Amino acid sequence: MKLTLSSVYRPHSFPKLLNCSSFGILGRPFCSSALSSSPTCVKPQVPLFLRPPIYSTKLCDLKKWHDWAKGVSLSIGSTFVQSDNGADSNMLCRELKWLMEDAVEDHSLGMEDDDRVKMRIDIEELYCLWTQRVQERRPFQYVVGCEHWRDLVLSVQEGVLIPRPETELVVDFVSDVVSENEDLRSGVWADLGTGSGALAIGICGVLGSEGGRVIATDLSPVAVAVATYNVQRYCLQDKIDLREGSWFEPLKDMEGKLAGLVSNPPYIPSEDISGLQAEVGRHEPRLALDGGIEGMDALHHLCVGAALMLKPGGFFAFETNGEQQCCALVDYIKSRSGRSFCNLEIRADFAGIQRFVIGFHQ
Amino acid sequence: MTCLLRKSLRTKALSPFLHKLVGNSSESHHTLASTCWFWCHQSSHSLPQKTNPCFSSNSIPSSRFSNALLQIRFWVSEAAATEPSTSDGLTVQKILANNWNILDENDGDWKSHAAAVAQSINLIKRRLQWEKLKVRLDMLSFQLGKEDLWDDPVRAGKISREHGSLLGKMKEVNALEQELLEHIDMIKLAREENDADLESESLKVLLNMRRDAKEKELEALLAGEQDSCSCYIEVQAGAGGTESMDWASMVMQMYKSWAQRRGYKVTLMDEMPGEIAGIKRATIKVDGEFAFGYVKAEIGVHRLVRISPFDSNKRRHTSFAAVAVIPILGDGSTHVQINESDLRIERFRAGGPGGQHANTTDSAVRIVHIPTGVTATCQNERSQHQNKASAMAVLQSRLDQLEMARQAKFNAQHTESLTDITWGSQIRSYVLHPYRMVKDLRTNYEVSDPDSVLEGDLDGFILSYLSASLDKEDDA
Repeated sequence: MKLTLSSVYRPHSFPKLLNCSSFGILGRPFCSSALSSSPTCVKPQVPLFLRPPIYSTKLCDLKKWHDWAKGVSLSIGSTFVQSDNGADSNMLCRELKWLMEDAVEDHSLGMEDDDRVKMRIDIEELYCLWTQRVQERRPFQYVVGCEHWRDLVLSVQEGVLIPRPETELVVDFVSDVVSENEDLRSGVWADLGTGSGALAIGICGVLGSEGGRVIATDLSPVAVAVATYNVQRYCLQDKIDLREGSWFEPLKDMEGKLAGLVSNPPYIPSEDISGLQAEVGRHEPRLALDGGIEGMDALHHLCVGAALMLKPGGFFAFETNGEQQCCALVDYIKSRSGRSFCNLEIRADFAGIQRFVIGFHQ
Repeated sequence: MTCLLRKSLRTKALSPFLHKLVGNSSESHHTLASTCWFWCHQSSHSLPQKTNPCFSSNSIPSSRFSNALLQIRFWVSEAAATEPSTSDGLTVQKILANNWNILDENDGDWKSHAAAVAQSINLIKRRLQWEKLKVRLDMLSFQLGKEDLWDDPVRAGKISREHGSLLGKMKEVNALEQELLEHIDMIKLAREENDADLESESLKVLLNMRRDAKEKELEALLAGEQDSCSCYIEVQAGAGGTESMDWASMVMQMYKSWAQRRGYKVTLMDEMPGEIAGIKRATIKVDGEFAFGYVKAEIGVHRLVRISPFDSNKRRHTSFAAVAVIPILGDGSTHVQINESDLRIERFRAGGPGGQHANTTDSAVRIVHIPTGVTATCQNERSQHQNKASAMAVLQSRLDQLEMARQAKFNAQHTESLTDITWGSQIRSYVLHPYRMVKDLRTNYEVSDPDSVLEGDLDGFILSYLSASLDKEDDA
């Protein structure tokens, strides 16, 4: 399944090696198109807050835009909540505040209406962006080009799954495990289907500078490009090894050697895809969401691979769709390779939904 | 309706517009000019070991007043035991007893300056509760001298910190006193020798001292143990629906503006908006030196009387908002130990299957401390991790405060700032109709321009309350 999907997402002209110049911070013209479902270029976009403040606008014009955007947001009420559990007016207003935070360079007091405010984006573009956010339901994180995740600010763009707050907990699990096991801390970890690189970078952080490396894989070249950008922004090139390919394929050299394995694989059952919240269904990559008929294709594949790739005592943590998948996955592991794993556990997220399956290799 | 709403927002000039929108996240942190500055400044002169502390110019040969300096040195060494005095036996108490006329600053009369400084010193001593301070310091010195002190390192650290801080305060006041007498000597000497330059120079120094001492009076108001801490301010709307929720947001805005004027950094931690307007509850963090010392004067219930913009019949309404203030104890303080296993962490607004299904920027977190039932919520940060960290910080401060309140039962000195806020403890009335006035019910301090108060001009209220509450303690 992975391979068939990959032909849709793999652009023909993708350069195998990303050269450094593609990561220049300066001067990338802003791409205002809401959807870039066919990325012909995998040059990662620079998040809004990192762009140079080369624009300026009068404070009164900015205020006019803000009032307009606020009005648009307030008019939404709870429409999106009712239709597909989307954002309500309050949430949109908070996002608006964050957009301002990212777009405006100078927040100093004592400015007059006619004073010019330094901006990282043209005021016209701000109108476009907010229309996209509200009318097209473009995810806020794509609008500003970043997601705040744990203590990180990660670049994201169309074609890459926006890391979810739930997934932050996986890093906590790893942190707990390595805090009492020096062997695992100094070992090699793998994050499969890394997307923006969130888990890989988060885990690298808890392993510490003396700790081991992380190998991160993803099938999508856009994801690999964005993850590479994020890894470089946190100066972790020496610690995180990004490999393009499906699940374990790029990890052939690591058989039986991994200290840990984590993944937030696609786990939504195919039939649920069409009913997803608009921000997700219309804008985020299906490759990162669709887990096959039961939603468990990738999870099964990961469990089988984990038995092969983990070294004795190695740790794994996978995110799932919820209680049903957690239980099914534990049963699957027990029946297929019961003796390979021990201390299997189901962990809940902060909303109380059983979200993760964790365990150790024998 | 929108028109009414807009009116009720009372948005001031546009200058703070960006600030309000972006939550001041990028604002740099300045310390308060009239507080921190003063203590630091003070140490730059007036210390007895400095030979020539008052003159920056070299034009005066030092031999000319070596005589006076010798005398000064003499009493400096004795200072601990006897009351400092000038060469002819003048002390601060005697200056006060002389009842010299205190003239305007511009009148270059040394007696007037000296009397003003002496008066300030007297006030500062009273505010610091000088006699109690001396007893406490002796007690702490005794504790520090004990051999088994470091058997309990936490307690030892606390004692040595308090000792250091009290000693510092005492030394500063003593130094101020000595400096005053030093310059009186200097002026007398200059007069004897008919040295106009020296006299005017000393006069200038006395005038500066007079201004400094005035600021130090303010500083002495903030001598409490937690006064220098940053703090959280929480505002909660009373009963009465939209009108009181609007009032709560006006109160919160008043504190935001006050804090910004003071140069404090303001961060919104948590906000529960009302359905139509205003807030049900909100928490902000005010970062900066002496934030708690000032804001603690605001604890209590604030009452508003006005024609409600939300009432189509234009009737007069009375609304209430409760204000709570929690100090954020510094690293040096002892915090309540929180057991991870005592916590329940919740997504505040969970709905649907979550995970990959949902793209939400709402990552609010609520933490419940199960043994005490104390909760903390944060929703202002952009990641769940950060919301959790901020909520933990709020929870820590709440539990610390709870512990302090518990201890305060054994230590009556602290109860003043820790009054439990009930709807009965009304502290201030804001009347917009039928007349216009803001009146503090504790001090009777009043202002006839409610707009300026609501725009953050609170210093008058705060300072009058702080001095009144210290005077009260004094009488007791």
